[in-house]
Amino acid sequence: MNQKIAIQVDDLTVAYNYKPVLWDIDLIVPEGVLMAIVGPNGAGKSTLIKSILGIIDPIAGSVTIYDKPYAKQRKLVAYVPQKGSVDWDFPTTAIDVVMMGTYGSLGWIKRPGAKEKKASLEALEKVGMLAFKNRQISQLSGGQQQRVFLARALVQNASIYFMDEPFQGVDATTEIAIINILKELRKAGKTVVVVHHDLQTVPEYFDWVTFLNVKKIATGPVKDIFNDDNLTKTYGINYKVAVSK
Amino acid sequence: MSSPQIEIQIIAAVVAVACAIPGVFLVLRKMALISDAISHSILPGIVLGFFITQDLNSPLLIILAALSGVITVVLVERIQKTGLVKEDTAIGLVFPALFSIGVILIAKNANDVHLDVDAVLLGELAFAPFDRLIMSGVDMGPKSLWIMGVILLITITLLLLFFKELKVSTFDIGLSSALGFSPVVLHYGLMTISSITVVGAFEAVGAILVVALMIAPAATAYLLTSELKRMLFLSIFFGIFSAISGYWLAHWLDASIAGSISTMLGFVFLLVYLFAPSKGLISVMYRQKQQRTEVSLLTFLLHLNNHTEEEERHINHLREHINWQKIRANTVVDLALKNNMISVEKELVSLTEKGKNFTETALDYIITNKDEKIEHLKEDFFLFRG
Repeated sequence: MNQKIAIQVDDLTVAYNYKPVLWDIDLIVPEGVLMAIVGPNGAGKSTLIKSILGIIDPIAGSVTIYDKPYAKQRKLVAYVPQKGSVDWDFPTTAIDVVMMGTYGSLGWIKRPGAKEKKASLEALEKVGMLAFKNRQISQLSGGQQQRVFLARALVQNASIYFMDEPFQGVDATTEIAIINILKELRKAGKTVVVVHHDLQTVPEYFDWVTFLNVKKIATGPVKDIFNDDNLTKTYGINYKVAVSK
Repeated sequence: MSSPQIEIQIIAAVVAVACAIPGVFLVLRKMALISDAISHSILPGIVLGFFITQDLNSPLLIILAALSGVITVVLVERIQKTGLVKEDTAIGLVFPALFSIGVILIAKNANDVHLDVDAVLLGELAFAPFDRLIMSGVDMGPKSLWIMGVILLITITLLLLFFKELKVSTFDIGLSSALGFSPVVLHYGLMTISSITVVGAFEAVGAILVVALMIAPAATAYLLTSELKRMLFLSIFFGIFSAISGYWLAHWLDASIAGSISTMLGFVFLLVYLFAPSKGLISVMYRQKQQRTEVSLLTFLLHLNNHTEEEERHINHLREHINWQKIRANTVVDLALKNNMISVEKELVSLTEKGKNFTETALDYIITNKDEKIEHLKEDFFLFRG
């Protein structure tokens, strides 16, 4: 494969209170894949994303985004945290949340202007939320909130997208809408990394997968490695998943 | 009005605004109690500063006191990080310890210094105009007005410069960090400015009431708006309003100014809590009542939709059948009639075209929980506003 490497993780170890939650992770994500990270609760899926993004400091190891440290490549990366990680009663509107996606390219002090507003409206339209632009975020349904989060990532116009459980608590329509947008991103040559829970949909949604349970179990194309053997190794119980070839 | 009266009101208003701004972010970050901790634990800083400078208005004293405020925050976080106790317990451990060090320091040196615990806790706004800033023989006005004015100016400048950063780090700490706006830097920036504000304000309103000035305006504004900028403006407005009206309340009652200002803050919050348009108690109760009626309406319409037999649709039978009290049944029938959802002919009730459509849309929503379909109904019915 002569694809470029989008994300490279070397010997990454992360610990909370001296208890390792990620242990010696090596991971290479080629450019242009739509990758699921799967693993049981407490496997360190969110922690892996957060340490790639410098939100959590690892105790060992290194991460590069297109061969450079994350701090130098921030503008290439967009991040959608877990929906539950923010306070949806915060006094702000849908459009305002999307505008936050433009803050990174603005840097400190500079305020968003007409250009950022236009981009944000376009992103809202893309996720079908334009009609709700002035709605207070607590007045949105779970699926609508997730779409606003996705629009905020889209407005960053990044090369790599990290999403932490974007399908959690959303209805089927929103799930399809989101996955279609993710597939569009991949078609445009972007790399998308998604923490995912529903094993049934992995072969349908993704072309690349990483099995994680504190240690990395396997990583590669879904068609090669998404099998009962790896599932059993990751989840510790005998797994039978119908994999469509 | 005499000029000291005007000066006191200006000082009170400036203190109120300086407190309201960081207060908004403390409330949104669910850190209201931290302001209480800071306001008490600055005492040792003030006492030490006073020993060194013998001047309650010295900048060194303000810096030392603000430093002990920041140390409080660091200590609380350290204790919390051990995972052995929760944040509220950590706060309860730290600030009394620091405060008592201050109390002991004052007591040990009570004979030498003109500083007592009462003044620190309650402040005395009425005396503020007597301590004046004299520069080369010219009276420049009350010292505390200058101090609070400078603090307010710094606060407003920082707010204008870093509004965007404060907003994103308050709303979404993960994104803020990923975008390169260090939440740690912003957190300690906010804590520092809060500490400085508390130190500046404590002389005027005391360590206890400064908490009210920080938290009450923000909490009140929170009930009224869904936009951060408006929340800031409203907090500032409530702060100024309570400061001025509190002053006149004190004048009228011949009571403590700071106490009266806090009373006004509480009173304003109570009014808003009761009467706020969407989050207020009365509006919430009204909405719940409406929702109950609408659920009844929907039940009634569904019944009509399910039964074509005449006996099931007879107006008297309906009352017995659905087993509602007469008043409730009448309310529901009236509501349905008013909205042209049913028609009554020879005491037989039938669904109109509109009623049928409404029932089906509502059913569809209940089954699929899709929001788009009922967007246009939200204006008329509380039931669908979630």
